[in-house]
Amino acid sequence: MGRAAILKSVKENKPTLVPLPKIDLNPFQENVDILETFKSNVKLVGGNIQELSQLSNIDSEVEKMYPNASEIISCIPESNLGTVSISEKTSPHELETVDLAIVKGEFGVAENGAVWISEEAVSTRVLPFISNDLVIILNKEDLCLHMHQAYKLISERKRNFGLFISGPSKTADIEQCLVIGAQGAMSLTVILT
Amino acid sequence: MKVGLFIPCYINQLYPQVAIATLELLEKLDVDVSYPSTQTCCGQPLGNSGYEEDSKGACQLFVENFKEYDYIVGPSGSCIYHVKKHFDILEQTPDVIKVRNNAYELCEFIVKILGKIDLGAQFTHKVGLHKSCHGLRGLHLGSCSERMDAHFSTEEDLLNNVKGLELMSLTRKDECCGFGGTFSVFEEAISVKMGKDRIQDHLDNGVEVITGADHSCLMHLEGLINRNNQPLKVMHIAEILNSSI
Amino acid sequence: MSHSEKATIFNKNEAKVNWHNKALWFVREKRDTAAHKVKGWEYLRELASGIKANVLSNLDEYLVEFEKNALKKNIKVHWASSAEEHNAIVHKILADKKAKKVVKSKSMLTEECHLNSYLEEKGIEIIDTDLGERIVQLAKEPPSHIVLPAIHKTKEEVDELFQEHLGTTPSNGNPEYLTNEARKHLRQKFIEADAAITGVNFAIAETGGFVVCTNEGNADMGAHLAPVHIACMGIEKIIPKEEHLGVFLRLLARSATGQPITTYSSHFNTAAPGTEMHVVIVDNGRTEQLSREDFRSSLHCIRCGACMNTCPIYRRSGGHSYDTTIPGPIGSILSPGKDLKKHSSLPFASTLCGSCSNVCPVKINIHEQLYKWRQLVTKDVKQPFIKKSILKIAGIVLSKPKLFSLAGKSARFMLKYAPRFMVYSNLNAWGNARELPEVKNQNFDEWYKVKRKNHG
Repeated sequence: MGRAAILKSVKENKPTLVPLPKIDLNPFQENVDILETFKSNVKLVGGNIQELSQLSNIDSEVEKMYPNASEIISCIPESNLGTVSISEKTSPHELETVDLAIVKGEFGVAENGAVWISEEAVSTRVLPFISNDLVIILNKEDLCLHMHQAYKLISERKRNFGLFISGPSKTADIEQCLVIGAQGAMSLTVILT
Repeated sequence: MKVGLFIPCYINQLYPQVAIATLELLEKLDVDVSYPSTQTCCGQPLGNSGYEEDSKGACQLFVENFKEYDYIVGPSGSCIYHVKKHFDILEQTPDVIKVRNNAYELCEFIVKILGKIDLGAQFTHKVGLHKSCHGLRGLHLGSCSERMDAHFSTEEDLLNNVKGLELMSLTRKDECCGFGGTFSVFEEAISVKMGKDRIQDHLDNGVEVITGADHSCLMHLEGLINRNNQPLKVMHIAEILNSSI
Repeated sequence: MSHSEKATIFNKNEAKVNWHNKALWFVREKRDTAAHKVKGWEYLRELASGIKANVLSNLDEYLVEFEKNALKKNIKVHWASSAEEHNAIVHKILADKKAKKVVKSKSMLTEECHLNSYLEEKGIEIIDTDLGERIVQLAKEPPSHIVLPAIHKTKEEVDELFQEHLGTTPSNGNPEYLTNEARKHLRQKFIEADAAITGVNFAIAETGGFVVCTNEGNADMGAHLAPVHIACMGIEKIIPKEEHLGVFLRLLARSATGQPITTYSSHFNTAAPGTEMHVVIVDNGRTEQLSREDFRSSLHCIRCGACMNTCPIYRRSGGHSYDTTIPGPIGSILSPGKDLKKHSSLPFASTLCGSCSNVCPVKINIHEQLYKWRQLVTKDVKQPFIKKSILKIAGIVLSKPKLFSLAGKSARFMLKYAPRFMVYSNLNAWGNARELPEVKNQNFDEWYKVKRKNHG
């Protein structure tokens, strides 16, 4: 029963050691425009892309896109749109009625339009999920080609919680019809600066 | 080079014209080919039904019949696959190993060993190629749609060099026909449905003659076509390649 | 009922079979498109297979390493040898927290352990929050596919279900409306939940953390709102290092649905302050499968469902025909290991076409394992007398050339000269829908003797 039994059974039944393969990244190397690939994949997965020359213009840009958002949480210093402020002490249940969250993405992955969001960037883990819409601010230079590079970039992080987000929440569970907006954010916009 | 002609049991009994075409084709290609008359079967029907142990007698007989030849050639991807793959249940004597290594499906033998793709054949029809699973995924007669490999196809190479032959493109390139040996009887409903769907694909794409390298698949499709009076003919690729040479 | 009997019933509605077949083939095509875009796809599969092979050969060490690192981060680790133990452990955690309302994201392991009914009997409400899972939960059915649980349901059927249970207005199966109504309904459940249960896609030995992948965000909505998060995993979900996630996350969603990655790939390493995080590590027959040299690589499985989408039999018979938690090709090599007799028809529910093995991201040789299970079924499970006798006799006839020749002659004679009603009687399953081949006057042996007698 339990731990001892399982480990004993594994020891008795496992095959002779097979060496761990080393990952050679050469087969994955390709000459693509990383920025364009990232942008097109964000759109492919149902997200929106906006490009801003200056982060200081962000408020007017966001207001244009989400004019009806009344309860807004901004996790970036450059935006003044936040109507509610949060911290690590915020109870997740308080965020039930949040319309829009603006958070900083650490970097993007070109091959799948994903952005790494750390716990520090959102303060409360549920924020990028519970908010009705989500805006991610991302620096154009902070892009890599594929997931192997992505894991190198986060290898030294403080490990508590983090995630790759690729596009808005979605489902195709009803007769394979793709519906954007399932349990998480109804829309996702990546603002590239 | 001495070649032993292997004729699958059901082709021998029910489709001798395929065996004749295979023999004539090899002879026209100047192959020294003979047919050991004491051959029976490769044992596949038993292996696939779970009675591998009971097939050992048939497998041993196969090795006995063919061990003296440089190559064994047969017009059946699934049988040759069975010999190469599943004769591992026999004790691996030098004879068994030799037979397993030198067994070839007909098209593969012609293209790989004889190095020929233009056989001077003529067949003025719209043809649909059924890429039988054991030949395709088992013997690697061609690339398959699931894998990210460069495209190649032994049968297509041969058919594309037949004068007047128009090779039609199918919607599902290499879906199984549903024969599967005893599957055709024990899971009859699905087997029939799979066959009907394959046939419809050929009809939808203007095919007049369905061909392939495995007559078991063709037998199953032909059975459905004849029952449902559909406007399609079925011919083994050996018969097409042997025509008008 | 065997797979064959259930499949026959499924096939009575040809329109439904065509619809189901088309829907799943469409997913297979999306997988192909996505895989074509990845440079080095076949190498990626090779890596994934190699990593998993290493994992199985060093599994105990990785499990211990995982536990050590998880405990360091205050994640509580439990071990369950069986489904019963798993259920009891989960229940104890819930009972200790006086949890009455639980939300659960997709976990085939909890399906396997029948966790829902166990908890419901103990008075705990457990809501499946993946939309497809919620649909089948309301319909009181098991999921028919491990990634697309409700693929067998039409949108009209879902509409009726939601009218009855969610009070929606009739919408002719409008997917946007129904999904939005489900969102509101499930949001309430997330807010009220005392605990959240999730599966584990990958557990990393090196860090003691784990990853949960969803498109809907339901795993996270549960885990980050509830004060307790219980993550259930089979022992084979371990991978050695975090960098290996690069390989698996590139393969998983592309193989499953043709997406480059799931919307959310959440990396859990610690519990949020003030909450509890538990991992339950489960055996339930996996170490036994590990002992089987021919079948152990079935434990590589990362539950993508690609084998189901490509399988021509699965597409035309539906997941419920397999009568097992995990259906389709992978299910047909996993389940016989648990109950050979109950699942003895599954290895035969296949033409051994090999398509499944080619789409499998971790290169499980599924079609070869199906062939091997067949040999064990005939040995260990009582077979119908006639089938067994015919095949054993065939084995003898095929090993004796003269007997074979005689049998061939008689069979051909019968086929050629017996009246049609005899040949196409009820005993002739082939003849239900197919014509038998036309018998020629000579077989090849006879022709050869006459035309090429010099070669003898």
